[in-house]
Amino acid sequence: MSEADGTPRGMLSGVNVVECGEGVAAAFAAKMMADLGANVIKIEPLAGDATRHRGPFPKAHPDPEKSGLFLYLNNNKRGVTIDLTSADGSLLLGKLLARADILIHNVHPRERATSGLESAVLAREFPELIIAGISPFGDSGPYRDWKGYALNLENAGGMAFLAPGASQSPDLPPLKAFGQQPEFQAGLHTCYAVLAAYWSRLNGEKPIAIEVSEQECIAAMLEMNLMHYTYAGRETSRLGKRVLGPWLLAECSDGVIFVACAEEPQWQRMVEVMGDPEWAHEELFKDRLTRGDNADALNLFIREWAATRKMRDVFHQGQAKRVPFAAVNSMKDIYEDDQLKSREYFVSADSPGIGKRRMPGAPSRYGAEGWSLRMIAPRLGQHNEEVFNGELGLSKGELATLQRSHVI
Amino acid sequence: MSDRKMPLAGVRVLDFTWAWAGPFATLQLAHMGAEVIRVETANRPCITRMIPPFADDVSGPNRAGYFNQYNQGKRSITLNLAEPAGLKVVYDLVRHCDVAVENFAGGVAVKMGLGYEKLREFRPDLVMISMSGYGQNGPYRGYLGYGPPAAALSGFFNQMGYAGMGPMELGISYMDPNAGIFGAIAVMAALVNRKKTGKGQYIDQSQLETAVALMGEGLMHYELTGEEPQRAGNHDRVMAPHETYKTLGDADKWVSIAVGNEEEWRKLCAAMGKPSLADDPRFNSQSARKRNERELDAIIGEWTSKRDRWDITRALQAAGVAAFPSMSNKDLATDQHLRARDFLIEMPHAEVGRKTHVGMPWTIADSPRRVSSAAPLRGADTDSILTDLLGYAPEKIAELRKAGALT
Repeated sequence: MSEADGTPRGMLSGVNVVECGEGVAAAFAAKMMADLGANVIKIEPLAGDATRHRGPFPKAHPDPEKSGLFLYLNNNKRGVTIDLTSADGSLLLGKLLARADILIHNVHPRERATSGLESAVLAREFPELIIAGISPFGDSGPYRDWKGYALNLENAGGMAFLAPGASQSPDLPPLKAFGQQPEFQAGLHTCYAVLAAYWSRLNGEKPIAIEVSEQECIAAMLEMNLMHYTYAGRETSRLGKRVLGPWLLAECSDGVIFVACAEEPQWQRMVEVMGDPEWAHEELFKDRLTRGDNADALNLFIREWAATRKMRDVFHQGQAKRVPFAAVNSMKDIYEDDQLKSREYFVSADSPGIGKRRMPGAPSRYGAEGWSLRMIAPRLGQHNEEVFNGELGLSKGELATLQRSHVI
Repeated sequence: MSDRKMPLAGVRVLDFTWAWAGPFATLQLAHMGAEVIRVETANRPCITRMIPPFADDVSGPNRAGYFNQYNQGKRSITLNLAEPAGLKVVYDLVRHCDVAVENFAGGVAVKMGLGYEKLREFRPDLVMISMSGYGQNGPYRGYLGYGPPAAALSGFFNQMGYAGMGPMELGISYMDPNAGIFGAIAVMAALVNRKKTGKGQYIDQSQLETAVALMGEGLMHYELTGEEPQRAGNHDRVMAPHETYKTLGDADKWVSIAVGNEEEWRKLCAAMGKPSLADDPRFNSQSARKRNERELDAIIGEWTSKRDRWDITRALQAAGVAAFPSMSNKDLATDQHLRARDFLIEMPHAEVGRKTHVGMPWTIADSPRRVSSAAPLRGADTDSILTDLLGYAPEKIAELRKAGALT
């Protein structure tokens, strides 16, 4: 899978993207494009991106060149360092943008003026540039200037208030999901929006500036919860029981299995998979609503059945009979998953100082030349000379001066 | 106001999707101005038309909030895909479409006569995406896949939960809209490629793979350290404090507070009226706070328990500390910020009137922020599509209807 020669290829080859900001959102948006062949230049502050400092690190030993999250987000990109708050830094940014099709950043609206990233100003200066700015709460409205980490934004978007599902513990708080999900979703929506804008520019339309709100990305994906209120006046929360059954997590001898058989035929087949036990024919469990009502009793039986079995066996035996069981996979389980292996999902990135490490690859198989791993994530400032000297035409002397004055 | 065309104006999409993941993908295309023709069929009614909430608690396929949210701006045609005459209409439609989208289980579209190889006979440069649970090949190809199983298989349930307790479920079927937005991106990349090469293509997307793509940090944790990341409630591996705290009163009201650096920590202490806490050796660095996180949570929780969640949020945000209430559906539907940004919208709908929905999570500068129309009534556009797009004569339409091809 690995194509480490750096040759431009793929569906988005020839698309020039400049990325700046910190953390996950802008980086993931640009990653999606870089993986499909776009030429992405990532601008980092001189101290390096926040994800370089977050890790995870080999042997838990912090090293900004060995952060797992940074590596995952930044393969296939070239990296430069610029202090965007300096005047010379702004000039450099301008030179990069003059050659770019797309700018993706997640610099906070409050900090855009000092970094030279106000959309209206950029749009005047670079009339061909597509601009996408990501922020916690968007570029307008009363919360515009507020801060938000993933924890805050999952709560602000209404996803956390619904989690964990079917909680029986009102004293325990709403729960966030693993990772930086509002940032991932904002990155995905940004990638989509800039591709639509690029398409439109290819068709002769004027480029556009887009702003993306992380809060809204989450609030736009709450299943039917918002309408429970706006259609029927009901508030929803994490607290309560599943109406239909069976629906539970059950411990196996070596892991946990997720059981959700809300449809009657699925339940009938599940009974078969369990060996047609007598209890399954009790009046208490006669249809999915009574199974929901009597979940306490039902779950005891199912847990007893699962307890002596292996997670993967239950998963595959169920699915073989079209029962939608799912293994509650650990990270190790995911790497060992037969389907992901069979589709060669994981790629191996050979990073200096770390060696070969597996990470997620293409999320789709494309008919045209699609996803490829062409370059390992850049070391801090790795492409300063190549980009500033080789492509922007700055002299070595100018580079040295910029370096001395901590612009790059 | 602006007379700017929406970016995907002129792109036509044939939408065979159902449930949530597929319709979420085509919703994105409609949001950007594509003409999305949703094919509905009586043999496989969309689940989202059939489950609550219904407008004013009166059930009916056009009254379901779930459908009406994720199908805004689309058109609807009803076709019986089990009838050759119905399929024939599909093939006529494909000629006029740039994109086809389906999210049946692996292999099902081909059996239904809707496979890419079949459809491209009618539209050689078609861009088509299949959004199945596991992909079109591999040992799980025929397995049942929905959003929640994908969250289990991708590690999200295993990572969800309070410290010291077992795995738990997410609150929503998160992997459905996630697959949807990944799908919309793949379609756009393919359209860009078609513009350059003149060629369409088939895209085989796996919901499982789009879910695992969000688990990068967890997977790298295992890969680099050999250890599984720990379940830790709302706590972060690095940042502290990082928790959602109960606020004043008995109601289920909470506020999330997260501190990412020393400056924010000092500001939090000052805003709580406890400036001396900043230099307390238990808490005077991120690693110290992380070590003594439970003690720290107790102190902050005590402070929040006597205050309103919005008072806390305003005070902390004014000081430069990230805080926000845990928003319920009611909180969101009545939020002044989302209203001011026109994220909350009400479009007229023939059966339910003007109900509040959310629009797109992005804004195009200098353009109004609104969807083109409410979700369609079931089959609302059947006749106009057959007449205006396909040029069928009234007699032909009547004949198809009589033969049961338009249900």
